[in-house]
Amino acid sequence: METLKEILAPDFLLRNSVYTSVLVGFACPLVGVFLVLRRLVFMGVALPQVSSTGVAVALSLPVWLHLGAAPHGSNGQTGHLLALAGSTLFTLLAILSLAFMERRGRGLPEGRLGTVYVVATAASILLLSKNRVAEAGWLDLLKGEIITISDFDLKLTAIALALVLCVLGWFHKEILFVSFDRSMAATLGKKVVFWDAALYLLIGLTVSIAVLSVGPLIAFGFLLIPALTAHLFARTMRQFVIGASLLGGLTSFLGFWLAYSADLPVGPTDVVLLGAVYLICGVLNRVLIGWKSIQRL
Amino acid sequence: MSEPLLTLDQLAIGYDGHVVLSGISLVISRGSFTALLGANGTGKSTLLKTILGLQPAVAGRIELHAAPGRALIFGYVPQATQFDPLYPLTGFDVALMGAYGRVGPGRWPGRGERDFVRDCLQATGAAGFADRKFSQLSGGQKQRVLIARALAARPDILVLDEPTAGVDVKATRVLLEFITQIHQERSLTVLLVTHDLPLVRKHAQRILWLHDGRALHGTVAELFTPERMAEIFEVEAG
Repeated sequence: METLKEILAPDFLLRNSVYTSVLVGFACPLVGVFLVLRRLVFMGVALPQVSSTGVAVALSLPVWLHLGAAPHGSNGQTGHLLALAGSTLFTLLAILSLAFMERRGRGLPEGRLGTVYVVATAASILLLSKNRVAEAGWLDLLKGEIITISDFDLKLTAIALALVLCVLGWFHKEILFVSFDRSMAATLGKKVVFWDAALYLLIGLTVSIAVLSVGPLIAFGFLLIPALTAHLFARTMRQFVIGASLLGGLTSFLGFWLAYSADLPVGPTDVVLLGAVYLICGVLNRVLIGWKSIQRL
Repeated sequence: MSEPLLTLDQLAIGYDGHVVLSGISLVISRGSFTALLGANGTGKSTLLKTILGLQPAVAGRIELHAAPGRALIFGYVPQATQFDPLYPLTGFDVALMGAYGRVGPGRWPGRGERDFVRDCLQATGAAGFADRKFSQLSGGQKQRVLIARALAARPDILVLDEPTAGVDVKATRVLLEFITQIHQERSLTVLLVTHDLPLVRKHAQRILWLHDGRALHGTVAELFTPERMAEIFEVEAG
């Protein structure tokens, strides 16, 4: 309990890391539910990786152009904004290209996503191997070490995720309608391409911010596992969305507490904790279904 | 002849410029019950999508005769089997989507709209199971919810895409009786896609029969003659 008091104290040294982790934990599942409903789980794997490649490319640019390094982390806002621009640009390009190919209905979607994932991973490693800036924090980012988050990073994350939350909440009806039944939505005059694009932009922005703040590993974990867990019990969309978001937020806090107490890396601790919760809930769900079946007999 | 609602004029349909069917001319009158018949692969679904505006016509034109100042509203009832069971939506949630056409972006249907949707569920006999998860309903129950959703759109024309697919014989009969009943009570125009000949014979007034790259149309009496049937099924009459 002493550790918990320490983490909750306003002057806690890593408070920005706690806040960012919890913000990402609450926000990622909100777009994650649509990745699950649209059966785009593999996109949730590939996009954070593409996003981190975008960060690597953006931060390599000054080095390539002989303008000096723009390291990630505490060394200023320019580097962070550059990384955000690279991350967002790469994520949006990837998501829009994948969605376009999906609409054309040609080829194998899983094959495309797998290729994007593996090429993005390889490209990130290549960029890291050739850039001394990697030592200044990229590897920590890729491993999910959330320890050096500045006030500026935190504000940027909070503003971007608040924007995602507002747009998703405001236009939830339209996004759900075109996801569930495109044809009916189109016959009733809804602009299905526009709402699809809006959803993809929100997913892209969330992934970019999450990757930049906490790394691809945690971003992927929080995009999908809370949504998959909440789906086991949800009977309505409201339960699904709120349940996934609460689960993500609470798990991220518990994960941070656990990691801090046991001196473990935060990202992997969060994701393993999410996996454990999913497993326990899955077993509990099976038991409940079995119990209901027995009661009916 | 009664007032036309929808006119197909030398319509050619297909995908990516490839013509599946051409020379389709038909007038669907307000308040009529038209069946779109044909075996699998004859272009029924393509024609339906083209009429609904979900894909462009290859050639020809479709005229929609809506009231001045407003668009023609389709009450589209897709096959119940096409919906992903992952969505945690109740029957009411699904039916409420019918009202979304009248509610602008960022706004939610008000109490009046919600009450109207409940009336539609009541009218289709779906009120009793509207609070259950849509994915857990039977085929017939899902169809009733989907018809309620289409009615909630306050449609000019009800378009049903094989509503009896995946529905048992008894439920099929009840469903078709119900569609006929609302067609008569509300003078609602109905376009029904099916390949169930006995049902069409009993319920439809006019038929558009897609066969072998051709579109035959006429009344039930005109098309259900031994000669026409023999031609369509490629057997000798009598």
